[in-house]
Amino acid sequence: MSDRGPSDLEIETRTRSAWRNLSWVWLVPLAALAVTLGVAWKTWAERGREVEIVFKNASGVIADETTVRYRDVVIGSVADVGFVADLSSIVVTVRIDRAIADSLPEDAQFWVVRPEVSTQGVTGLTTVLSGVYIETAFEPSPGAQANRFEGLQQAPLVAPGTQGTTITLRTDDAAQLTAGAPIFHKGIEVGRIEEPELLFTRDGVVFDAFIEEPYDELLNSATRFWLTSGFSLSLGTGGLDLSVGSLANLVRGGMSFDTVFSGGAPVSEGQVFELYESEDAARSSAFSDPFENAVELVVEFKDSVSGLSAGSPVNLRGVRIGSVGAINAIVREGENGREVRLRATLSIDPSRLGLGDDNVDEDTVVDFLSEAVREGLRARLGFQSLFSQALVVELVRVPEAEPAALVLLPDTPPLLPSVDSELPNLGATAEGLLARIDNLPVEEVLDQAIATMAAIETFAADEGLRDAPDALVSLLDDARGLVGSEDIQSLPAEINAAVSDLRSVIATMEQAGAVEQILSAFNSVDSAANSVTDFAGDISGAAAEVEELIRRLQALTDKANELELNEFVNSARQLVESADRLIDSDDTRALPASLSAALDEARLALEELREGGAVENLNSTLASADDAAQAIEDAAGLLPDIANRIDILVNETRSVIASYGTTSTFNRETLNSLREIQNAAESLSKLARALERNPNSILFGR
Amino acid sequence: MEDTRSQTPVLTAHEAGLVGCTSCGKVHPGGTARCVRCGAALEAPDGKSLQKVWAWLIAGLVVYVPANVYPMLRTTTLGQTTDNTIVGGALDLARHGDYGVAFVVFFASIVIPIGKFAAIAYLALAVSRRVRMGPHARHITFVIVEFIGRWSMIDVFVVAILSSLITLDFAATIRPGIAAISFALSVAFTMISALSFDPRLIWDTKYR
Repeated sequence: MSDRGPSDLEIETRTRSAWRNLSWVWLVPLAALAVTLGVAWKTWAERGREVEIVFKNASGVIADETTVRYRDVVIGSVADVGFVADLSSIVVTVRIDRAIADSLPEDAQFWVVRPEVSTQGVTGLTTVLSGVYIETAFEPSPGAQANRFEGLQQAPLVAPGTQGTTITLRTDDAAQLTAGAPIFHKGIEVGRIEEPELLFTRDGVVFDAFIEEPYDELLNSATRFWLTSGFSLSLGTGGLDLSVGSLANLVRGGMSFDTVFSGGAPVSEGQVFELYESEDAARSSAFSDPFENAVELVVEFKDSVSGLSAGSPVNLRGVRIGSVGAINAIVREGENGREVRLRATLSIDPSRLGLGDDNVDEDTVVDFLSEAVREGLRARLGFQSLFSQALVVELVRVPEAEPAALVLLPDTPPLLPSVDSELPNLGATAEGLLARIDNLPVEEVLDQAIATMAAIETFAADEGLRDAPDALVSLLDDARGLVGSEDIQSLPAEINAAVSDLRSVIATMEQAGAVEQILSAFNSVDSAANSVTDFAGDISGAAAEVEELIRRLQALTDKANELELNEFVNSARQLVESADRLIDSDDTRALPASLSAALDEARLALEELREGGAVENLNSTLASADDAAQAIEDAAGLLPDIANRIDILVNETRSVIASYGTTSTFNRETLNSLREIQNAAESLSKLARALERNPNSILFGR
Repeated sequence: MEDTRSQTPVLTAHEAGLVGCTSCGKVHPGGTARCVRCGAALEAPDGKSLQKVWAWLIAGLVVYVPANVYPMLRTTTLGQTTDNTIVGGALDLARHGDYGVAFVVFFASIVIPIGKFAAIAYLALAVSRRVRMGPHARHITFVIVEFIGRWSMIDVFVVAILSSLITLDFAATIRPGIAAISFALSVAFTMISALSFDPRLIWDTKYR
C-alpha cells in the first residue's frame, strides 16, 4: 500500500488554478470597499460647491461651524474665513449644496444673521445660542453657477423674489424715518422702506420703498405719500385735531399713501414720489405736478409777478384747476413802444373745469375758454392767502373788462387776456409812504417853526408892541380927557352963551378969521396925519392897515374936532377893530414902534388941538349949529348899541388875547387896555343913558 | 517567542493522515466527511481558510478607513453641531487634559484595531511561510488576538449608549456618525477574520 502513494494523486487534484481556488468570501471585502467608496462618493457629492462671499464684517462667522441657510434651511456651511488680498474685506468660503449652488444667480444676497434688537422687534434670537449663520436670498436661476458674491451688511428689507413694486421716495428731512419703517394704506401695512440715503446732487433724501403685491396695484401717478409718524396736532377752522398713530409708529416712523385724485397713470418700477409732511400737504399737492392731459395757456401780466412761481396754483373762483408752469419775460411791441411783459404758462386740468374726466380734446377746452373769455373771463394775480406774499393766478369773470378774445397763437398756447390785479401792493405802498415821509422837509419845517417862535417871541417882547397898548390907553385917556374936559363940561353953558351971542360970534368969527384958524388947525392935523401916512408907507406889509388906522385916526381926529360923539365912538370902535386886526395880522411885527410914533403924533395933534383952543373955538362954532343938539340926540340913541358892540369886541379880543397865553406881559397889558376900553365904553353908555334921560342936558347943562 | 518547544518537530494530525473536528475536537481518519460525534463538516486544514482570513481582514481594513475619516460622534449642543472623528476626539480629550481617557480611547480605537490587523496579517503570512515565526509564538499571538477582539467594540458601545441616553433635542444631542457603523463593521470583520483563521495551520508544517 505504501509504495502506491495514492496521496500524491490527491495532492495534485487539489492544485487547481488560482481563480478556481478563489473563495466566495472575497466578495466581502469587495462589498466593503464598494460601500466605503459609495459613502466617500456620497460625502464628496454632498460636500457642495465652494463659493466665496465677501463681507465687510464677518463677526461671529466660524469656519466649519457657521451654516448657510436658505429660507431657514441649512444648505451649506462655512469652509474657510480669510481676507481679500488687501485685507480690506473678508472672504468667507462656503460650501453650498450643489443643487442649490448651481442655481445661485449673480445677485444672490448673503448676509450674516445676528441677534438684533431694533424698533422693528427682536430678530435673530436663536443665534444668541447657536451662533450666527449666513442667510441667503435669491431668485433661483438654474445653471447660473455664480461663484463670488458681495455680502450685505445687514438683512435686506425685501427678500428677493418677493412680489411687489419698488418705488423711490424723496423728502427733505428723514429725521423721522428709519430703515424698515412701515408704509400703510388705510391702516394696513403694505410695505416697508429702505435705508434713507442723502442726495448729494440735489437737496433732500431719497429712499426706496417696497410695496408688496397685491397692494402695489393701488399705486398710480396720482398717489401721494405722507408721513404718519407719531402724532399730529392741528388747529384749524374745524377745531383742534389730535391724531395719535400707533406706538410703533411713534418709535420708528411710518408713512401712508393714498390716491388723491382719479385718473393716475400706472407706475413703473423705481418711480419717484414726493413724501409730504402731512396728509393735508399731500392732498393739496395734488395739482402741483403736471397734469396728464393738461391744456396749456399763456397769460401776460403787466404787474410784477414777484411771488408767482412755477407750481403756483391757478384758481377758478377759489377752486384749483391747474398750476403755473414757466414764467418768463418777453418783449412786445406795445402802444408805448417796446415793453417787457411777463408771460406765465398755465397748465389747466380740463377735468377740473368740468369738461369730463379724460381724453378731453384740447380744441374743446379752447372753445370753452374762448366762450368764457368773451363773457369776461380774465386772468388776474391774487394773493394766495392773507398772510402770504405768494401769488396765485385767478381766473375771474370781469364783466366790465374791455372786450378781448382768447388769442390763438401759432407757436405758443392760446393767450388768455389778463386784467390788472387788485393787489394792494403792500410793499410798494409802504415804501411810498416811507419815501414820502422821508421827503418831508422836516428839518426846514422845524427851522421855520423855530424861527417863527423866535419871531413871535421877539414880537411879543418888543418894547414897541408893549408900548402900543400904553399908547392906545393914553390916546383913549386923551379922548376921555377931551370928553370929560372942563371945556366939554362947560360946553352947554358955552353953547348957551354961544347961542345967545350967536350973531356976535359969527360976527367975531368973520372979523377974527376964525375960519382960517380952524382951517390952519385942520391943516396941521392933516399934515400930522400925512406924516403918519408917509411913515406908515415905509412899513412893508403893514402899510395898508397902518394907513387905514391912520385914516381912521384922521377921521377920529376930524370927528373929535367936530365933537360928533357917535362918529368918534364909531371911529374908536373901528380903531379898536383895526388895532385888533392889526394885532392879529402877521405883519404887525414892525408895527409897534411906528404905531407908537403914530399915536404919539396923534396925541401931539390932539394936544395941539387942545392947546390951540380949537375946541373952545369949535365949541362956540358948534354952538351956533342949530341942528347940533338934534344930531347929538340921534347919536345918543346909538350909544348903547355901540357900547354893547364894544363889549362884544372886548370880549372877543379878550378871548383872542387869552389864546396868546395868560401870563405874558403883553397879555396883561392888553387886558388892562381892554379894561380901560371897557371902562370908556361904560362911561360912554353912562353918557348915553344920561343923554337919554335928559337929552337937553347936553344943551342946557346938568 | 522562540523557545525550545518551537524547535521541537511536531507530528500533526494532517501529517498522520487524520483530520480533527474543529467543533468537538474528535479525530477522524482522513477523508471522513462529517464528524461522527457532532455532525460538523470535517475539513482538512488548507490554504482555503487563509483566503477567508485575508478576505475578512481586507474588508475590515477597508471599512476602517471611513471609520477614522468620518465623524464618530455628532454632538449638537445648543444648536452648535460638532463632528468628532476618533482621532480628533482623542486629541480633543488630550487637549482638555483628560489624558487617561484620551489614552483609553486612543488605545481602544486605534492601537488595538491596528494591532489586530497587524497580528492577523502577520499570522496569515507566517502560516503561508512568508514570514518566519515559530509555531508557539504564532499560537500565543492567536490567543491574544482572540482575547482582545471582544474588547475592540468598546467605542461602538460607548457611541451606542451615548446616542440613546443623550437625546435632549436642542440642548444636547449625540448622534452616531458614519464612522460608528464603519468601526463596528471593521471590528466585526476583523473578528470574523480571526475566527476564520484555522488554528491548526499554526502547527501545520505542510506549507513550511
